[in-house]
Amino acid sequence: MPGTQGESSRLDRRRFLKRGLVGGGLLLCAGALPFAFRSTLRRRPRGPLRLLSADEYAVFAAAAARLVPGDGAGPHWPTADALDCAGKVDVLLAEVHPDMGSDFRRLLRLFESGVLGAVVAGSPRPFTRASAADQDARLEAWRRSRFALLRSGYQAIKRLAHASYYSSPEIYALVGYPGPPVVPKVPG
Amino acid sequence: MSAPGHIVDGGDLPELSSVEVDYVVVGSGAGGSVTAAVLAESGAKVAVLEEGGHYTKRDFNMQESWAYPALYQDHGNRATDDLAIMILQGRSVGGGTTVNWTSSFRTPERTLQLWAERHGVRGLDAATLAPHFEAVEKRLDIGAGNPDDVNANNRKLMEGAAKLGWQPELIRRSVKGCARLGYCGMGCPLDAKRSARTTYLADAVAAGAQVYADCRVKLVETDRGRVRAVTADVLDRGSDRPRARLVAYARRGVVLAAGAINTPALLLRSKAGLDSGVVGRRTFLHPTVPLISFYDQPVEAFYGAPQSVAVHHFADRGAAAGYFFETAPIHPMLGALAFPGFGDTHRRIVERLPYVQATIALLIDGHHDDQGGSVEVNGDGRVKLHYPLHATLREAAASALADMARLQLAAGAREVMTLHETPIVIRGEADIAQIAAAPFGPNQHTMFSAHQMGGAAMGEDPGGSVVDSRGRHHAIENLWIVDGSIFPTSLGVNPQLSIYAIARLFATEIAKARA
Repeated sequence: MPGTQGESSRLDRRRFLKRGLVGGGLLLCAGALPFAFRSTLRRRPRGPLRLLSADEYAVFAAAAARLVPGDGAGPHWPTADALDCAGKVDVLLAEVHPDMGSDFRRLLRLFESGVLGAVVAGSPRPFTRASAADQDARLEAWRRSRFALLRSGYQAIKRLAHASYYSSPEIYALVGYPGPPVVPKVPG
Repeated sequence: MSAPGHIVDGGDLPELSSVEVDYVVVGSGAGGSVTAAVLAESGAKVAVLEEGGHYTKRDFNMQESWAYPALYQDHGNRATDDLAIMILQGRSVGGGTTVNWTSSFRTPERTLQLWAERHGVRGLDAATLAPHFEAVEKRLDIGAGNPDDVNANNRKLMEGAAKLGWQPELIRRSVKGCARLGYCGMGCPLDAKRSARTTYLADAVAAGAQVYADCRVKLVETDRGRVRAVTADVLDRGSDRPRARLVAYARRGVVLAAGAINTPALLLRSKAGLDSGVVGRRTFLHPTVPLISFYDQPVEAFYGAPQSVAVHHFADRGAAAGYFFETAPIHPMLGALAFPGFGDTHRRIVERLPYVQATIALLIDGHHDDQGGSVEVNGDGRVKLHYPLHATLREAAASALADMARLQLAAGAREVMTLHETPIVIRGEADIAQIAAAPFGPNQHTMFSAHQMGGAAMGEDPGGSVVDSRGRHHAIENLWIVDGSIFPTSLGVNPQLSIYAIARLFATEIAKARA
């Protein structure tokens, strides 16, 4: 038999506080990293940002650059910057529930942190200032982490990067996709 | 006969507006549309409030970059709270039916029996539902399965299953004049799909119902055991932020049809009718495990009817959780999200897209000792879905992957690949044993769900269910629920047709009681 509604609500709240877009515990840690963006290597957005700060934009853009096809892909593959993946994600995040946007911004702070980078992947530099090899190692460490929260964080960044990149018509031919067919004309 | 109603865009509503009708229906998908049609045709004044926008075939451009943000919940980003299961759930006028892949099955009799025997559901058997299935199938043009619908992606499933004696079956589809373009999940640009918008919602409007698009219902207002109104934020289509407010007063009742995640969330947010303690509990997803196979000849799984073949050979595994096989269409973005890894490792998979076949195993949750997941809301009303994958389902997932691999090898695949973050590549039976030892923790294997069920279960026990066996809330006499949230377990088949038929039964009873 379930407990009273009041007990149930308190239990729910305790459980709820442990969770979030990438887990409440992980994101609370982000609050303890006030200087994570102190030396972030910025990139110039194409236009005014709607939700992300310049630092957050730079972190996502740097991660997206490594997540999409890179060094071995050949020159015909566009970069994440060329397809404005970070700009597209900024627009998307401005339109989802504000909590989701806030969670993702905190995740980017955590991902940029050199302190966490040193602990997780042995690289003490901010993500945006790490070498390409160290950036890949950081992504790989989060992807394969034994901590479920880090794996969730990796997926949040990876999915947004891949969604913005692979939904772009510029890559259709590169993956052997002819694109949508011509729609037959029908009355009405 | 009432004058025809309209579909009103949120942008045409003033800053504060109100309507008063006999029945307010929250949600315009399968359950909401048929309920609105039945009630409006019985002479009642009906208002339907829909969170999503109103789009027609002229808008459906078959581009993933437009379709997922415009037509899916959370702009295509809905997932469990740990992101382990991606949730494909529609949000537009027509709800999930706008993006549904058209697969149509009646509720299995063994599922109805399970509900009667273990979950206290009364008077909901195949004979009772039969006239409602027949009516819905006629309205949605659901005929016999058509062998001409089978594209290469589905043919591999059919051939492999046939070789192994696993009895593949043709899927019945809700289409008329289908050109088999392959873009059901992005809205049909031909209106060949018989979605709610082109069928029951059109019927409801013709009978006088008003449909309000861009209206996200925030609260159900109750007073002394009755619901009197719902309050909605009217969303700006461009920013998806509230720009106005609509209050809909219900003289006779409110019918919730916002889907198995948003309906429990609405009750929780409203603190309405929670006495049972089970609102938002036992949410089921048919957690879905994909497997990809590579062929020497192009499969082009991005074209053709998305689903035309199903295999239910493993649906009943006795004491173990069952599963069934179907296929998934693979367009570049959806494929890229499912494929593991990043950078050039990931690219080497995506580059083979035309040669990829995708089989999916849908795990039948809630029929054994697994309790499903839960829906919660935070102080700002944000919905949280928590779904731990029970050991029973992890076993089913591993077993399903092995069986899908056998099936695709039998169909002639050059190699098969699991979507673990460290994929297992299978070229023969000897490789399949590796699957048993592979991890199934959160985000260690791609999983998604296109079938959300439960969270406001029906049953006759007010202590263990939210509504009775005709959808009426146990504690709020003029509140009904007519969507997939009322299912006490998952179905074991694609749920859309069951939602339509059960909602039609419930709506008919509501209309009779009114008369």
